[in-house]
Amino acid sequence: MLEALQYIYTPQVINGLSIGVAVILMALGLTIIFGLLDVINMSHGEFYAAGAFISVTLMAMGISFWLCLLLVPLLLIPIGFAMERLLIQKVFHYKDRHILTLLLTFGVAMVLEDAYKIIWGANPIKPSAPISGASEFLGVMFPNYRLFLMGFGAILIFCVWAVIYKTQIGAIVRAAAYDKEMSSSLGIPVMRVYALTFAFGIALAGLAGVLLAPIYSVFPTMGRDFILMAFSVVIVGGLGSIKGAVVAGLLLTQLQSISSLFISPVWSDPLVFSVMVLVLMFKPAGLYGGMKNA
Amino acid sequence: MLNTKARAIRLVELVLLGSAAALFIVGTYLGDTFFLRLATESLIFGGLALSVDLLLGVVGLLSLGQALYFGFGAYLSALILKELASSFALAILIVTIASAILGWVASFIALRSKGVYFALITFGLAQVAAKVVYNTRSLGASDGMMGVPILQIWTPFGLIDTSHPGIFFLICLLTISILYGILKYFLSTPTGSLWLAIQSNENRLAYIGYKSKGPKQVAFILAAVVAAVSGALYPMLRGFVSPELMFFSVSGNAVVTVVLGGVGTLIGPILGSVLLTSFKSVIGTWTSHHHIVIGLIFVAIVISAPKGLIGLIVTRMNKVDAKKEEGKHE
Repeated sequence: MLEALQYIYTPQVINGLSIGVAVILMALGLTIIFGLLDVINMSHGEFYAAGAFISVTLMAMGISFWLCLLLVPLLLIPIGFAMERLLIQKVFHYKDRHILTLLLTFGVAMVLEDAYKIIWGANPIKPSAPISGASEFLGVMFPNYRLFLMGFGAILIFCVWAVIYKTQIGAIVRAAAYDKEMSSSLGIPVMRVYALTFAFGIALAGLAGVLLAPIYSVFPTMGRDFILMAFSVVIVGGLGSIKGAVVAGLLLTQLQSISSLFISPVWSDPLVFSVMVLVLMFKPAGLYGGMKNA
Repeated sequence: MLNTKARAIRLVELVLLGSAAALFIVGTYLGDTFFLRLATESLIFGGLALSVDLLLGVVGLLSLGQALYFGFGAYLSALILKELASSFALAILIVTIASAILGWVASFIALRSKGVYFALITFGLAQVAAKVVYNTRSLGASDGMMGVPILQIWTPFGLIDTSHPGIFFLICLLTISILYGILKYFLSTPTGSLWLAIQSNENRLAYIGYKSKGPKQVAFILAAVVAAVSGALYPMLRGFVSPELMFFSVSGNAVVTVVLGGVGTLIGPILGSVLLTSFKSVIGTWTSHHHIVIGLIFVAIVISAPKGLIGLIVTRMNKVDAKKEEGKHE
């Protein structure tokens, strides 16, 4: 019994955690963008892929992985800013902007995915892990990189939470989400806050891409497989809620990784989805309300 | 006199029907296969887009997983034709009934949510179904199913061989027209009015004494049936089905088609499908990266003309009318 716990469950839980951290980073971007702009970013998975592809290219140019962790988000911020300003702002005044922005970002996803195929080809690229080796933990060996991923991700998630809830910048963002007109009459440049928040969310997705590239391979449709999980996390947690994204992210990835011990991994996706449906049936707004309720 | 939108829809209907007739006559006369099969394909995917438009344009529900029902219809029809009997009527009948049941069951899950939640739930449902089919060996897993026999359709005038591209084009034209007709009929009924009311303001429906749940469910089931019957035609044209039919790209493409043609017009999706399918075929001859071009066009349309091509025609007609009015006054 104890041995089963040690050799079967612990590795699965740790693996689930390292994926969970990355999923939460993705979901945080989605949920912040939705919480503030009411935009479902269908191209989020493609920006995750963008992060991975850019890091692969930068590393091929001889730039170290650690510098990539800094450079990729910095490169993606202006792209996200421009996308919000030039595209999303254009349909923002329509009544059905929920659907229009969703369609718009969907179109962007289509373009990006094909662009990756043209630039990097359709074959998977597998970058080597920046930290090699493995450490023993509770008598089981774990790849060092996964342990690093968990630690780094956890710090990052904490930083995002601290920025949103403990700094003045975060207060501005929350104010803009709560009441757009009032914030703007108090002198907050709401439109710029929108664009910057969008860019911030995109940068988080890109960062998740950089972090996961050494674990999964890098290929043009990599975002698509990942986005369903991220969407499920955001829905279960409550669109716009940071706490919800973290809790639901841990919950769903653990469910996925532990259930795959008992059932074929093929069925763990339907299982995760059924949990999402169940949550929606009893709590239609997710486990936690939106950013506005904070 | 009809209003401008209705006139624009009538115009597009006539143009599409006229070009279909012209294509059939010229195509059959010249013994063409390529264009007739291309037109058949655009009709099939037009049917799928039609179902998306019923939900999005009429009831105001964005479905990102309509490929689920399309793929369901395609697989079921392939199974019936291969294993049960090579009968068109039987395949369509069973697909209609089965997809109505599937839609009814799925409606309980999907309609619990509204707005973006609905979009994400339908997206998730289809994604899960696609994964299951992709991994089910008895359905051919990632290879799909091949070797669907060519149909012989019985009619009072003798057997019809669907391997003839012109004949099968006519059959598809008829099927999709019937589906279109049914949806148009529904729009003229009280249920149709309730759909439009739900689209403009669902909360206020209760004030005039109606529940929104029933009409929404009817629309959802109808959309599932329309998508599935269109899907049922696919293996008859191609002779195979593959799990790609359920993938998100198919659902997404249907949404693109609807937005291109004109949301809420029902004929717009057919027009959009004809244009998009021909465009893909033309552009596919010199590059395999047609998504990038279609994506760019799509983004441009969402930004500059959210009402699609029919919207552009309506604007045009209004301008012409205004000029006529001016002329009268002078």
